Amino acid sequence: MEYLSRKQKMKKISRGFKMVEIEIDEDACVGCGSCVDDCPNNVYQMNEETWKTTVVNADDCMACLSCHEICPSQAMTHRDIHVAKRLYIDRKVNDVLEKII
Amino acid sequence: MDMEMEEIRGTFKPEIIPRETGGKIGDYEAALHVLMKFVGSMSSALEQVSGRGANAIVYQAGKRMGHDAAKMLEKTDDLEKALNEMGEVLGVEFYFEMWKPKGQEGYTIESGDKTEVKLLFMDCVVRQTLRRTGLPQKGPLCYLLYGYMVGAVEEVMSIKGKLDIDHVGPNACLKTLTIKWGGK
Ligand code: SF4
Ligand code: SF4
Repeated sequence: MEYLSRKQKMKKISRGFKMVEIEIDEDACVGCGSCVDDCPNNVYQMNEETWKTTVVNADDCMACLSCHEICPSQAMTHRDIHVAKRLYIDRKVNDVLEKII
Repeated sequence: MDMEMEEIRGTFKPEIIPRETGGKIGDYEAALHVLMKFVGSMSSALEQVSGRGANAIVYQAGKRMGHDAAKMLEKTDDLEKALNEMGEVLGVEFYFEMWKPKGQEGYTIESGDKTEVKLLFMDCVVRQTLRRTGLPQKGPLCYLLYGYMVGAVEEVMSIKGKLDIDHVGPNACLKTLTIKWGGK
């Protein structure tokens, strides 16, 4: 993971947003269509034949990752996106959980 | 539970601005988590007691913060410049950028005396607080940022503004900032 200061981020972003690369694990996708309904930017569409989701508009993906939360089978991967700082993670709790698991 | 605590001891004289903060990064992390839990439970208690009124209270608090924070910024009627300045004030904890769908030419949409711009909030400490306390997004706490942005834009541009939440996600949230030209 790469950490950038706001100034570095501004420079990087002023060169234009990089198109997000999205990969769907077709074996995992159960064809529920939740991602199609959830995505506000119409990035996904159901393939009428395979009844699996397909990426049809990756250009408009803003990497909000609400589709990750809604997908029951964690079938999608978004590559090279800005990863929000996850300050909510309690590392002490994680350490304990890791020991238990 | 055993707790390890390192006490900081020193000689103290009256001072105007302390030079040293003391404590290690872990202490700051612990303090952040306590604050997150505190703010999260305060927000849900507010909602429980005053229903939708909670949104208005938090909005007002955010708006005041926005006005205060933006007082030192240079006044401008250039929306992009104002947003850049506000980005500096909001800092990396509320890291946002203007966003547009690929088919749209510019970032701003003009209609009558209104201008709209979509803002993508990528890092947001409010979102982190909500996740820390298991609260849903779009609740009262989100109104803090709403008020903050509106307060700041009103201060910098001397106009009326509003911020609507379009979509929320765990990694970014899309909002529409609408400004109404023609003074307060
Ligand atoms: S990350 Fe957001 S914008 Fe991108 S595909 Fe998922 S829901 Fe749509
Ligand atoms: S939400 Fe997941 S399982 Fe459902 S259609 Fe989309 S990718 Fe497939």
